[in-house]
Amino acid sequence: MSYWVKKGLKTGVVSTRYPKQEETASGITPGLPQITDNINSDDLISVCPTRAIHKTDEKLLLESSLCIHCYRCSRDTKEPLSWSEGFEWASFEKNSTPFSSTFGHSLHICVVDSGDCGACLNETKLLNSPLYNMHRLGFFITPSPRKADVLLVVGAVTQQMKGALLKAYEAMPTPKKVMAVGTCALSGGVFEGGFIAENGVSSILPVDITVPGCPPPPLAILHGLLSLAGRKNIKRGTK
Amino acid sequence: MDDLLLISFLIYIAGIVAILVLPKNMSAKIAGISGSVGSVALLSFALHSLFSKTIYTASLWMIPNIGYLSIRVDYLSAFFLIATAIVTLPASIFASTRVSYIKESNNSFLLVLFLSLIIFVILVLISSNIFLFLLVWEVMSILIYLLVNSGKSERAGYIMLAVGETGTLAIAIAFLLLATNAKTLSFEGLEASISSLSVGMQWSVFILSFLGFGIKGGLIPFNFWISRAYSVTPTAFIPFIAGATLNLGLYGIIRVNANFLPMSEVGFGVILLIVGSITALIGILYATIEDNFKTILAHSSIENAGIIITAFGASMIFLTSGHKVAASMALVASLYHLLNHSVFKTLLFMGAGVIEDESKTKSLDKLGGLLKRMPWTGFFVLIGVLSISAMPPFNGFVSEWLTLESLLRSVELASLGVKVSFIIAGVLLALTAGLTVTCFTRAFSMSFLGMARSKSIEKTKEVTKTTLAPMALLAIVAFLLGVLPTFVIPTIDRAVYPITSASATTALVPPFFNNQKVADKLPSGFVNDFHNIGAQVGKNTLYGRGVVVMHRGGKDNPVVFAMSTSYMLITFLILFGLTVGLVWLLVARKRTVVYKTRWDGGIKNLLPQMTYTASGFAQPVRVIFSTILRSNISNQKETASKHFRLSIKQERQEVHLIDRLVLYPLMNFAKKLSHLLAKMHSGKINTYASYAILTLLVFLGISFYM
Ligand code: SF4
Ligand code: SF4
Repeated sequence: MSYWVKKGLKTGVVSTRYPKQEETASGITPGLPQITDNINSDDLISVCPTRAIHKTDEKLLLESSLCIHCYRCSRDTKEPLSWSEGFEWASFEKNSTPFSSTFGHSLHICVVDSGDCGACLNETKLLNSPLYNMHRLGFFITPSPRKADVLLVVGAVTQQMKGALLKAYEAMPTPKKVMAVGTCALSGGVFEGGFIAENGVSSILPVDITVPGCPPPPLAILHGLLSLAGRKNIKRGTK
Repeated sequence: MDDLLLISFLIYIAGIVAILVLPKNMSAKIAGISGSVGSVALLSFALHSLFSKTIYTASLWMIPNIGYLSIRVDYLSAFFLIATAIVTLPASIFASTRVSYIKESNNSFLLVLFLSLIIFVILVLISSNIFLFLLVWEVMSILIYLLVNSGKSERAGYIMLAVGETGTLAIAIAFLLLATNAKTLSFEGLEASISSLSVGMQWSVFILSFLGFGIKGGLIPFNFWISRAYSVTPTAFIPFIAGATLNLGLYGIIRVNANFLPMSEVGFGVILLIVGSITALIGILYATIEDNFKTILAHSSIENAGIIITAFGASMIFLTSGHKVAASMALVASLYHLLNHSVFKTLLFMGAGVIEDESKTKSLDKLGGLLKRMPWTGFFVLIGVLSISAMPPFNGFVSEWLTLESLLRSVELASLGVKVSFIIAGVLLALTAGLTVTCFTRAFSMSFLGMARSKSIEKTKEVTKTTLAPMALLAIVAFLLGVLPTFVIPTIDRAVYPITSASATTALVPPFFNNQKVADKLPSGFVNDFHNIGAQVGKNTLYGRGVVVMHRGGKDNPVVFAMSTSYMLITFLILFGLTVGLVWLLVARKRTVVYKTRWDGGIKNLLPQMTYTASGFAQPVRVIFSTILRSNISNQKETASKHFRLSIKQERQEVHLIDRLVLYPLMNFAKKLSHLLAKMHSGKINTYASYAILTLLVFLGISFYM
């Protein structure tokens, strides 16, 4: 005899109230460094392993889609960067739009692991856990791309997974959107320029929405999905 | 019209003579022509004698002390002749095209044997004298044995011959018991003296004849020869042997029980019912797990013989308890299924044989992808598969449905024990029907669909038109028997009426569709019930008794059933048309259609060994029925040092239930007996002399007292 009913009632609702309310619990996001105009240290460029901090027109910029939250820029420098705690990082690529309201109520998502380190996939998996419970928002994981609206890709697209990824995309019915999750999927991340993987999903598929982070926290992915469904207004990409 | 029987015999004999006289390269053609033309004559003769209600009798010649050797074609014989002729016509064309595939043998001689076998099969069905019957039965057994072996010496053939002879012995004793009672050897005499049979005599005749004919008909527990013999028989002859000679055993059982025994013992029917249903289940169980298409079909023949005997048993029980109409219905179901089984089994054996010959592989695990290479063979086998799996609108559906319906009629019976046995039989048959679908889905999909699993299949090509024609013919017959049950049932009913002395036609196919007079006589409630389901549609235009098979029992019998495969076909066609129309409507609007690879799980290149295999398909059945199958599983582990495994190998061996329970114990017993007897042969001359003297003394003693 199990007491799961009793236990469940006792525990109550643990799911996050996001997106109706702000989620401010500690530890739900690794956060991102923040560059303010007055900081201009070449030292920062040399500590950043992924060239997320770079210089354009004598101005120090942070490309958040490359950041891997290694904290080197906030710990190992003379001029440490401050840290932001948000997670609403998803952004549309140029010319991409969310689903029209007809299709936006419920999305079926086909997750393809195109060669990630495991962390991005784990965070995606957490969306199904009671804490994030994406079903309440009408998001469902489907194993078959034939039934999917969204192709959620994690990983840097290794040579072995390239064909499978393309096939999965081709198998999807329109309207379909591609969501790249994690630094690797966005640009190749720490594997960028390597011989084994492509430089991110956009090198073989038209990406619609990107979620940076290494790995992005579940709420960031959820934010991306909500944006895709047209239920969150977000900034547009400029690339 | 009576001469047609003689003419068909003459055509067969002319064929034999022509093959022997004319050059060898013509023998195949001659056999095909004489076999098929003779069958047409035979078919028209049998149909004529069934419809004109004439019993054809003839005395051949007088043998001193035995009497006239006579033949008689009554309605039952006529029905079996129809089934035989329908099989013989395509089977002889098929045999003539495939006989050249038999290597290392004298093919024209085999064709002579084949034509003679046709003659003797017919003779078994029409002989009406014990002496003649046993004689032709024996010749027929030997001819089958020769064709099964076809010049080679196969162990399977010997087993068949040995078991068959045991059966003949049992049949001979049963007939002799009947003859001593009737003091005559003619069948008419046996029928006349039914009433003087004592109960003990009845039981011994029943058991012996059931055993003897059951061996030929493939009933448990002596059917172990069937799967062995059928899988080695050459493709040319197996369709005929499976389609026509299996029926002879069933003919014997029906003939003895219906004509020579008074239907008064309810026990006979119960035994038939139980043995039949168990046979059906065991048959299909082993068919489902077999790996060779021919063996699958052999096991499925056993299954179908079981179904036929179950329905016949039900009919006997109804008859002994006085429900004549129900008895007729069950017997119609039984004979209908027999006819259907002959048709689709012949068709399927042709397909299986062609597959085996062309792809040169026997294992389903190595076939696959044949549909692209042999589209027409695939199409006809598909029809056979649909028929045998009882899918409307093909023939198997009608007869299996009627069989199950007639089992449901057991609510009318009084005895609880008999009712329980009906329920058991019904459950077993329902399970059998389910497994049949599994079995033949597997057999068809693993050989025709998917990828080619071996190299030899790449070169497989479609067979010639002359080989396809017999299959096409049988497929058409299977379809017609499926959509026109309301015409077939009255025909079979003519053969059933003399046995049960009640007609099932009015009960099953009420004639109120095109006949207002009859409709007025029927109770209006009855007419209204069935009017609503469309039973009267086309009553002014359609020929015949209508297209709905139905029955409503009396007041105390609530069983009501109705079905019409003809309507079903029309509904299917309409639904199909609507679907196509709907799709067309949707697509006709402007749409972009993208053609890309089907979703395959993102696999790089699919290898045949990665796809579903026949063994894999059957595995769930193996697991579910593991208590019955009891396969020997041996595990072998290869290890380097103690804990490092290099490989694990599992082997599974199936030993057939009947082999395990009957054949092997019998063999062991025979071995032990021969060991004992061997002790008598000491080799000393004195001992042998004493044996002689002892024997002499014993016989003297006996003669002294007699
Ligand atoms: S956290 Fe690491 S990767 Fe991100 S900007 Fe700072 S140094 Fe670069
Ligand atoms: S982005 Fe980071 S967490 Fe995700 S797969 Fe790449 S290395 Fe792993």
